[in-house]
Amino acid sequence: MSIHVDTMILAIINFLVLVVILNKFLYKPITNILDERKKEVMRNLDSAEAAKKEAEKAKEEYLKQLENARKEANEIISKATKLGEETKNEIISEARNEAAKISAKAQEEIRLEKSKALNELRDEVATLAILAAEKIVSKNIDKKDHEKMIQEFVKEVGEAR
Amino acid sequence: MFFPKVAYAAEGGMEEGVQVVFELYGLEVTSEITTMWGVMLFLTIISFLATRNLQRIPSGLQNIMEFVIESLINFLAGIMGEARAKKYLPVLASLFITILISNYSGILPGAGHTPGLKAPTSNWSVTLGLAIVVFLAVQFYGFQARGPGYLKHFFEPLPFMFPLNIIEQFTRVLSLSLRLFGNVYGEEMVVAGLFALVPLFVPIPMQALGLLFGFIQAFVFTLLAAIYISEATEVHH
Repeated sequence: MSIHVDTMILAIINFLVLVVILNKFLYKPITNILDERKKEVMRNLDSAEAAKKEAEKAKEEYLKQLENARKEANEIISKATKLGEETKNEIISEARNEAAKISAKAQEEIRLEKSKALNELRDEVATLAILAAEKIVSKNIDKKDHEKMIQEFVKEVGEAR
Repeated sequence: MFFPKVAYAAEGGMEEGVQVVFELYGLEVTSEITTMWGVMLFLTIISFLATRNLQRIPSGLQNIMEFVIESLINFLAGIMGEARAKKYLPVLASLFITILISNYSGILPGAGHTPGLKAPTSNWSVTLGLAIVVFLAVQFYGFQARGPGYLKHFFEPLPFMFPLNIIEQFTRVLSLSLRLFGNVYGEEMVVAGLFALVPLFVPIPMQALGLLFGFIQAFVFTLLAAIYISEATEVHH
């Protein structure tokens, strides 16, 4: 076993040449594309993360809007309910007033009608009594006596009642 | 010019385990070197095909090479952190890939018997060359990362350890190169011996083990080189 110097020198030269060749045709292109791919994956991950964040933000906003809308709807409903209640009460009280007014008026009318009827009846009765008395008495009494008699009669009738 | 040299190598060269195929600018080119050229050509073609048309979503060869490179980066990052792993990737990954394919080139039919085809790592001269590259890389990266401060670590933990620390740098070259060479050479000798006894089927389990050993040796060599570089470029606070 001995060293063949020429072989050793050529082996060193060969190896150094191969390092240069492989560096140009293998290591550089491969490491470049590996780095590039890594960067691209990172970029994609970043953009995905950003998109996710944005979507979450939008979702939050929508939820907030929805919540607001719900609140507003509730408010509107309660307002409307209150308004309805008020209107109802108003209408009822108005109706009650009206009814009371109508009823009072009706009673007044009835009372008037009754007194009117009574008066009329009283006159009728008086006339009838005079006619009857005339027929029964069949004699002329002067007006003075006549009236006196009528008054008495009426008084009697009134008392009899 | 080609065959006489082989004949000469077969007579004299083989005794030393060296088979000279031809001469190039006065340098003797052995089978190990021609095989290494083949390994280089193979790796260049594979790399070129894998990265010729890089796709965002990888498939086929690109996928395989991405897996290999990514695994190597992760493995090195476990030793020296990701920043340094990426910085020293060219040398360390090339060591692993070159040694692995060189080891496996010994499994090709006719390897070791055919002129011009012999596993480069089964020769100590080649593994010594690779170990020297590691040695130089350690010193170079050490100075690059720490400047003159790099020299300080030769006097640590105690100043009188300086000679031992210097010797260690050189024993590393020996241990790295001899471990790789010994394992590959031994494995090939065992396969050759079995092949000489029973040429059919019997060497197959040993060759299968050779696949495993070839990977382990490439792994160990790269692991140790990575540890040496990591140690030399560690910036103390």
